[in-house]
Amino acid sequence: MSTSPGSSNPEYVTTRVRSRRSVLFNDEDYRKLIRMGPAEIARFMEESEYEREINALGARHSGVDLIEYALNRNLAKHFNDLLDWADGRLYDLIARYLRKFDAWNVKTVLRGIYSEADSADVETDLIRAGEMDDRLLDRLLDAGSIEEVIDLLDRTTFADPLRAALEEYEETGVLVPLENAVDRVFYEQLLSDLPGGEANQTYREFLEAEIDFRNARNALRLARSGADIDPSEYYIEGGQLFGASQLSAIGGNVEELVAVIRDSTYGDDLDSALDEFEAADSLISFERALDVALLEYSDRLGFIHPLSVAPIVSYILAKEREVDNIRAIARGREAGLSEEEIEEELVIL
Amino acid sequence: MAEDVKPTRKNLMAIEDRIELSERGHDTLEQKRDGLIMEFMDILDQAQDIREDLDANYETAQRKINMARAMEGDVAVRGAAAALKEHPEITTQSKNIMGVVVPQIESSRVRKSLDQRGYGLLGSSARIDEAADAYEELLESIILAAEVETAMKKMLTEIETTKRRVNALEFKLLPDLHENKEYIEQKLEEQEREEIFRLKKIKAKKEEEESEAAATEAESELEVVEVGD
Repeated sequence: MSTSPGSSNPEYVTTRVRSRRSVLFNDEDYRKLIRMGPAEIARFMEESEYEREINALGARHSGVDLIEYALNRNLAKHFNDLLDWADGRLYDLIARYLRKFDAWNVKTVLRGIYSEADSADVETDLIRAGEMDDRLLDRLLDAGSIEEVIDLLDRTTFADPLRAALEEYEETGVLVPLENAVDRVFYEQLLSDLPGGEANQTYREFLEAEIDFRNARNALRLARSGADIDPSEYYIEGGQLFGASQLSAIGGNVEELVAVIRDSTYGDDLDSALDEFEAADSLISFERALDVALLEYSDRLGFIHPLSVAPIVSYILAKEREVDNIRAIARGREAGLSEEEIEEELVIL
Repeated sequence: MAEDVKPTRKNLMAIEDRIELSERGHDTLEQKRDGLIMEFMDILDQAQDIREDLDANYETAQRKINMARAMEGDVAVRGAAAALKEHPEITTQSKNIMGVVVPQIESSRVRKSLDQRGYGLLGSSARIDEAADAYEELLESIILAAEVETAMKKMLTEIETTKRRVNALEFKLLPDLHENKEYIEQKLEEQEREEIFRLKKIKAKKEEEESEAAATEAESELEVVEVGD
């Protein structure tokens, strides 16, 4: 996958990723976890990959919060390792995907300032898995105003769009323009300056699928909410499923949106989820189907191009899914959900 | 109590006036009590329906937020909640139901569209939307329940008060007044009887004195005649 030999090391990183992937929880582990209470889950995690994080955070947190923070910290550690191992072009390909955590952290800091939350509370909510280093994140935590945060982000891709959205934020008084600007930057930089080559073409397809799925879920959410918002305002460029003008023309017509998705290349994968969405008028199962489809797609790409960024991205998604699944089990048990209900919510391939 | 009242005609008239007023008040209060009970029964039906809706909405909202916390993470849900600045507002007015002032609660900015919730659409999920929807619906039910249940409690207090007043009139005040009236009437009758008896006595005494005086006069006339002979 490397376009400039010597500057990229996909063989090394994919080998290490394969070993990391082998220690991810399997079906049997999930089956055990579903039958456990939060304390047992924490104990189970203590004897697994998550030992260090559970021990480090055990004194400060307890119960499901401990599990969630340990999961986030472990996720950050693994993804930081990926960035440490990768060189050259591969680093760029991985980093552009992991910038979603930078986007998450920027939004978390902005929300903290907006709601005047304590910086210690905001700090626990950060997931240090992106490209931003600890020093920058700590300085962001110390920032006292949104303008200061934007100034600190000057050398990142987030600064200019945030600055552009600042005026609208000041007019409306809600964080929506800033949050959308941050998310839009993340999605738009995914495909910008993506190098050529066969393996990169499949990576491009995967990223386009991610953007398409995000556009599809947002368009359906907007249509279902009945809000008087032009869906093209939230459209992310780069996908193949809709065009901005097509979305504007469809407006809030749910049936038409569903028909467009059914007729697309994703139609076969999402058919049953769309049926369920139309029957129950709930997007949750549809979103789960999108997650499953993306996970399967990344797995498939990983098999087709084993020495490219594809298996690495596939691992990133699988690791995120593991974290989501364990958190879902722990929170579900805490909330008193039945084993069947939790099992239904998990995404296991 | 009856002994405390002076048995005078003036008091009797005052008591009769009070009895009349109290009986009128008693009838009015009874009507008010019955009217309040009817209104209360209507509100009770409404309150039961609202309470059922509230319970159902609470269950749904809890379920949805638990699901959102489970699938999106507590951090994401808290983050989305922190993004909200436009908090719902309520204003209270009052309306009058049969003399009972009950609140009328108007709410605004409870239901929000996706762009008013503060969190970005691009980075959030339908689970958070559904949890927010469910909580907005729950909040509306809570406000409605607060209005109806406060009205119900106020009506209940008023019914109790009215009932106590009706009972006080029926079992305490009116019997006391009637007793007083009876006492004064008896006393007055007694006084009248005494007066008649006294008058009769005086009359009899007077008649006796008169007859005595006539006899004395007749005797003296007889003596004068005898001396003259």
